[in-house]
Amino acid sequence: MSTVQIRDARKSYGSVEVLHGVSLDIEDGEFVALVGPSGCGKSTLLRMIAGLEDITGGDILIGDRVVNHIAPKDRDIAMVFQNYALYPHKNVRENMGFALRQRRIRKAEIEERVNNTAQILGLENLLDRKPRQLSGGQRQRVAMGRAIVRDPNVFLFDEPLSNLDAKLRVQMRSEIKELHQRLKTTTIYVTHDQIEAMTLADRVVVMNGGVVEQEGSPLDLYDNPASLFVAAFIGSPPMNFLEGDLVDGTNLVLADSTALPLPVGDPKGRSRVTVGIRPEHFTIGDSGWPATVSVVEPTGSETQITARLAGHIVRILIRGRTATKPGETIHLAIAPEYVHLFDAAPVPQLADLEDVA
Amino acid sequence: MSAPAPSTAHRTRTSTSHRLRVMGGIAVSILFLFPIYWMVLTSFKQQVDIFTTPPKFLFIPTLETYIEYMQRADITRRLVNTIIVAAGSGLLSIVVGAMAGYALARIRIRGAATFGLLILLSRGVPPIALAVPMFLVARKLGLTDKHITLILAYSTFLIPYVMWLMRSFFLSLPRELEESAMIDGCSRYGALFKIIIPISLPGLLSTLIFSMILAWEELLFALVLTNRHASTIPVAIAGIAGDTVNGANWGALTAVGTITVVPVVVFALLVQKWLITGLAEGATKG
Repeated sequence: MSTVQIRDARKSYGSVEVLHGVSLDIEDGEFVALVGPSGCGKSTLLRMIAGLEDITGGDILIGDRVVNHIAPKDRDIAMVFQNYALYPHKNVRENMGFALRQRRIRKAEIEERVNNTAQILGLENLLDRKPRQLSGGQRQRVAMGRAIVRDPNVFLFDEPLSNLDAKLRVQMRSEIKELHQRLKTTTIYVTHDQIEAMTLADRVVVMNGGVVEQEGSPLDLYDNPASLFVAAFIGSPPMNFLEGDLVDGTNLVLADSTALPLPVGDPKGRSRVTVGIRPEHFTIGDSGWPATVSVVEPTGSETQITARLAGHIVRILIRGRTATKPGETIHLAIAPEYVHLFDAAPVPQLADLEDVA
Repeated sequence: MSAPAPSTAHRTRTSTSHRLRVMGGIAVSILFLFPIYWMVLTSFKQQVDIFTTPPKFLFIPTLETYIEYMQRADITRRLVNTIIVAAGSGLLSIVVGAMAGYALARIRIRGAATFGLLILLSRGVPPIALAVPMFLVARKLGLTDKHITLILAYSTFLIPYVMWLMRSFFLSLPRELEESAMIDGCSRYGALFKIIIPISLPGLLSTLIFSMILAWEELLFALVLTNRHASTIPVAIAGIAGDTVNGANWGALTAVGTITVVPVVVFALLVQKWLITGLAEGATKG
């Protein structure tokens, strides 16, 4: 196990800089998720830590050793790739033992470690199969086994669950979390799926356009997004946004002059703002913003309501069930502490960030 | 098991197109195979049967020509030479060409694309334009009429050929295979030899066999660069065909031709077994 320190890491391809100075301190045993839309630089950063990409500027330290010019094989890391990259001509046992054999570890010990790992992952009966004889989920497990068996300083995961179907993905997510709690190996996990990042990580690093937007514990990011981007990116269903003028710190005046009472104590000198409200922070009562219900989606444990508020679509999430029907008018109230204020700006379009895999 | 039966109309359409395809295949096969069939047929004829009009399909076959020519020292020596040169240039080219192809496919080198294109363009030069300069170079180096001369000469066109075939083969393999190997403790060379080469064996073998066939039947360089000692079998055929003293001996021509073709056919059947499919299967997602 080991710490990982990234100091002002930069990456350029020719004259194009794609990573603009990222700094990150990862503690021993910590599980850190790098999350962001495609092209944000998260995979590039991971590959730089692995040694698969050169570091254009800055330093990367594993433990107290600067690894900038150290070959991947000498960094004592293990990596799980999105497409698994199993060696097709080797069976599961040989795939898992390959790295150990490269290290010239005794045959008996390799055998023992491979068997132990196979047992942890439930692969005992598949050890003599070739990768092509395995299902997608089994291949994913072998890829993990290949990393675990090495007992490395750092685990690197590059979108390891993206190729699995939804059900298997949720199952493997829990297994990865359980494994980390058991092995306590420092882990850096890249994903574009914010749910994966939130559920797995001790700390989530949101990246956008080659910089770190915000880092913090999952719930900290959820409760206190520092930017519109993070607010829009974290949370599902996503936060609702309304743009308008804040008048007297008590009213939000939208573009069509609709005035909505908004209980904000301190607008912090802002007048033109984008207001963010999470779907579950609305309460439906007798007074508040009038909205017309368009869709009601019960899931049993909770109900999602889509409504129109002065021409804007808002989503409301309530615990339990409701008798509300489409076409009815409801009144939405918000407690002041749940109102997020941002400088007025276009809301990032995150349709392409949603998990479509 | 319980898949719905295809509709009758659909079935009829499929079987019609299937029949058309089979007939097309037969037509093309006849077009290509008839000359070879005719050559083999002629090689078993006696001189009197060769020139009859209309041509004879039924005759008393004879092995006379084969026996005569297989006993001639120049023919057997040329056969041995051809084997040495085809194997030598094939092996040299597969080693050099595959490594060059790998470099072009995987290693970020400035100007790699231009470099690769230049090598490919060199194939555009007509061999006849190179034959004389090559002869002069070989003579200066004291390399005329030696096996190594032809091996080197053939490598000039086989290496680019192997390089481009193997480049696209390597490009079709997921890059993560080597990256994974390199993280698992291999150097770039280790990843190449322990992971990539074993996976690519079928592709390498079929490319090798194709290269050897190309070298096997090459005539021009063999004609220019060799004389007695290292001459190959196509040169013998050209000699028989161009015999201005006795006129072309068709029996000999077709018999030696058949002897030349047989190993190629055997090789081609071997290639079939090593078709480049489904090799990296299972490496990645389902």
